[in-house]
Amino acid sequence: MTRKTRILLLLCAAIFLSGVLGCVWVLNRPRGTWVEILQDGSLIQRIDLSQARDQNIDVEYEGRSNRITIENGRIRVSQADCPDHICVDRGWLDSSIPIVCLPNRLVIQYTDQGADIDALAQ
Amino acid sequence: MSVKKLTELAMLTAVALIIFVVELQIPNPFPIPGVKLGLANIITVYAVYRYRFAETLLIVATRVLLGAIFSGSMMTLLYSMTGGLLCLVGMTALKRRLPGKYIWVCSVFGAIFHNVGQIAVVCLVAGRGMLLYFPFLLVSGCLAGAFTGLCAQFVIRRFETNILSHR
Repeated sequence: MTRKTRILLLLCAAIFLSGVLGCVWVLNRPRGTWVEILQDGSLIQRIDLSQARDQNIDVEYEGRSNRITIENGRIRVSQADCPDHICVDRGWLDSSIPIVCLPNRLVIQYTDQGADIDALAQ
Repeated sequence: MSVKKLTELAMLTAVALIIFVVELQIPNPFPIPGVKLGLANIITVYAVYRYRFAETLLIVATRVLLGAIFSGSMMTLLYSMTGGLLCLVGMTALKRRLPGKYIWVCSVFGAIFHNVGQIAVVCLVAGRGMLLYFPFLLVSGCLAGAFTGLCAQFVIRRFETNILSHR
């Protein structure tokens, strides 16, 4: 094993370990009760889950739609026209990892700015 | 390009596509877009070590394009193409340093490059929040890359010691 090969092996292990640490960090991030729904990178709606009433929100993208359901202070995608259905399989938003539907460019994620912006708007 | 070379490349592309389509039928236990085994990359790793850069590029580009058509999701073309090309460039740069029994390490680096390319495009499309996915992509990519790399390593080393080797 040459020196360069050994350095590459160590680098490889370091990247993997930092990935594992990153996962732990993401899963342990503090989160509030505000979520935002984004489409194509731009904000559609910002919701306080602790206050929101149970409802369905339909979002369309190029003729395909996603139905977002809010129930008992939880949010999920309950129906989708996309080919892979990853967003529906994901279930309720229960960590700071966003729910995504890449084909329909939809993202649902926790946000920490909700309260400030709401206060400003009022 | 000789007819023999063209046939070899075409056959590798076909094999990669078959693996890709078969893998599509396996249900994905992880609800994270972009997380998959990527078995078709066995062919990519094999080609990186056995062929020149331009030839491997042909295989990868054709497989990604046809794969997007077969799977019916043209949206993914952008991510897979960026990831695939970055992965190819990275592996070609590293392959001299990682010969023989380190081929799997090269494949892990390929997976890392692939994930970096993917997440860059996804962030452009869906916003910076998607960066939170990166650690998960990275970990799953390293594991999948090690697996596909080992598969390719067995094939390559078997060819090297086999008299039926086509070179």
